[in-house]
Formats: sequence, structure tokens, C-alpha cells
Amino acid sequence: MAIRRIDVRERVMERNDTMAAEVRARLSASGVPAFNLVSSPGSGKTLLLERTLRDLGGDLRLAVVTGDVQTQNDADRLARWTDDLVQAIVTGGACHLDARQITDALGALDVEALDVLFIENVGNLVCPASWDLGETAKIVVLSVTEGEDKPLKYPKMFEQARYLIINKTDLLPYVPFDMDRARAFALEINPGLGFFTMSALDGTGLDVWYDFLRSRTRRSTLAFAGVET
Amino acid sequence: MHEMSIALEVCRIAEEKVGRAALPDVREIGLVVGRRSGVEPDSLLFCLDALLEGAPFRNARAVLEVMPGDELRVSYLEVDDGDPPD
Repeated sequence: MAIRRIDVRERVMERNDTMAAEVRARLSASGVPAFNLVSSPGSGKTLLLERTLRDLGGDLRLAVVTGDVQTQNDADRLARWTDDLVQAIVTGGACHLDARQITDALGALDVEALDVLFIENVGNLVCPASWDLGETAKIVVLSVTEGEDKPLKYPKMFEQARYLIINKTDLLPYVPFDMDRARAFALEINPGLGFFTMSALDGTGLDVWYDFLRSRTRRSTLAFAGVET
Repeated sequence: MHEMSIALEVCRIAEEKVGRAALPDVREIGLVVGRRSGVEPDSLLFCLDALLEGAPFRNARAVLEVMPGDELRVSYLEVDDGDPPD
């Protein structure tokens, strides 16, 4: 037997990260910010996107790449509000989107014409944290029906994110959610986190979110595409 | 499921390095897994064992070195080139 040892030293995520860098460069060159929405299932990502598409779709050209695992439901809901919708190909067991899927999705979109690209990731606070999609920023959506300690339980996701949306504030009278504690836990994990507090259902706080999105488009003087750190 | 995606990527890297025809000759795949890499070492090993058990692999095993930090990489491959010709 002649055992030959080959030094590899290749990062397992190398291929994904190379593709993510290409996605980021392409979006950046076109001045299109991309927001990767991550959360546990049921936080309200799809409703937030529906509202955003409905309310801003007249002014801004908004595209969505969605990664619903088992059904067409999310895609069907979003398709009512935008023509720029790509459903990422996910099989029954997928737990995250990867950069290859975003590369494929960009091929189906008129990137140069877009104002903002949203990526609705698979509802999962673990796996999507490991996959760079070439986004400008990850945005975690946390609903008030979840525990305030989610940031402590899933630190990697909250570290990776640039913004935290606390959603479903219309339910605050009915659930024991302590907003200050939630913020404190999130800042403990990531002191640079930016916050939005809203109810995508009753519309509270959406104006701030919309101002933020407008400020990030290339039409705005504040525009920035690349990576927000 | 995440670990299975990672394990499949490890197999792809091995194939890229040695070629598909040599995959049955791979004996060992060495990995460095950071404690903060988002990957559970036992789960990754379980997935890799399952993949390395079957074709195109034969008799390969994964060896994980768990380290601090968030690194996740394939560090080496060992390939059995067989008996040298007389």
C-alpha cells in the first residue's frame, strides 16, 4: 500500500463564498441593495414583504427571491404584488438558501432595472447564518410571540445580521414579551445591530421601514450597496 | 440537514482534488471544524460516515479536528495508490 497525502486546506464554504462575492459585485455594480430576510418559521417575513411590495411597488421596482420549502404558498402570495419574483429551487429538506440559488435567480431578473432585491430565506435561525448569499445585509425578523432570548439561543444569526425587525407588535397586549429585554439580549450579541419595531399586520412602524428602504436605493444620496457591517 | 449539505460539499471537494475515478481509493478525509463554525462536529461526522460508506467511496473515513474559532475546511486527503509495480 502506498498512501499518498494531499494537502487541501480548502474552506468548505469556498465555492459558496466565491459565488456570493460574484453576486455582491454584480449587485453593487448595478446599485441594487439586497436584503436577506432570516427568521424562525412564522415570524411574518412573507406578510412584511407583501405589504412592502404593495406599498412601495408603485415607486420602486422590488424583486424577491423566495425559498419556501414545501409549498408554493409564499410565492403565490408574493406574485400578486410583483412580477420580479423568483422561486428558488428548494427540495423538501432544504434548510437554507445558498449563493448558487441567488446566482441562478439573478439570471432570471433584470438586475439593472431593480431598486431593491429581497431574499426570503428558509425559516430557520441556524443554517442560513452559515451561507453568505452576496446580500448587502441580513435582516433578522423576530416576532413578539417568540421568546426575548432568541438572540442568546441563536447567537450566530444575530451576530451576522445588520438589522433586527421586531414584528407583530399588535400582539404585545396579549403576550409576555419584554421589548427592553429583547433589545438588550440582541445588543449583547451584536452591539452594532439596527432596530425596526413594527406590526406588518396593522402597519405600525412600516413608515420607518419604508424610509429606510428608500434611503438605500441608488436614487437616494444615502445609497450604499456592498456589505453593511 | 445543514451538516448533510456540508458533508456533500466535502465530498465534492475530494472529487475535485483527486478526480472521480480515484474516489474509491480515498482512505481518509481530514477536516478542521471550528466550534463556532455553525456545524455540529458529531452530526457532520455522522453524515460523512454515511456518505463515505457508499459508492463512489470505499473504505474512506473522515477525521475531524475540532478547534476554537469559526474555521471549516478540508485540511488533507489520504489516497491509497495501491502496491507499487514490481
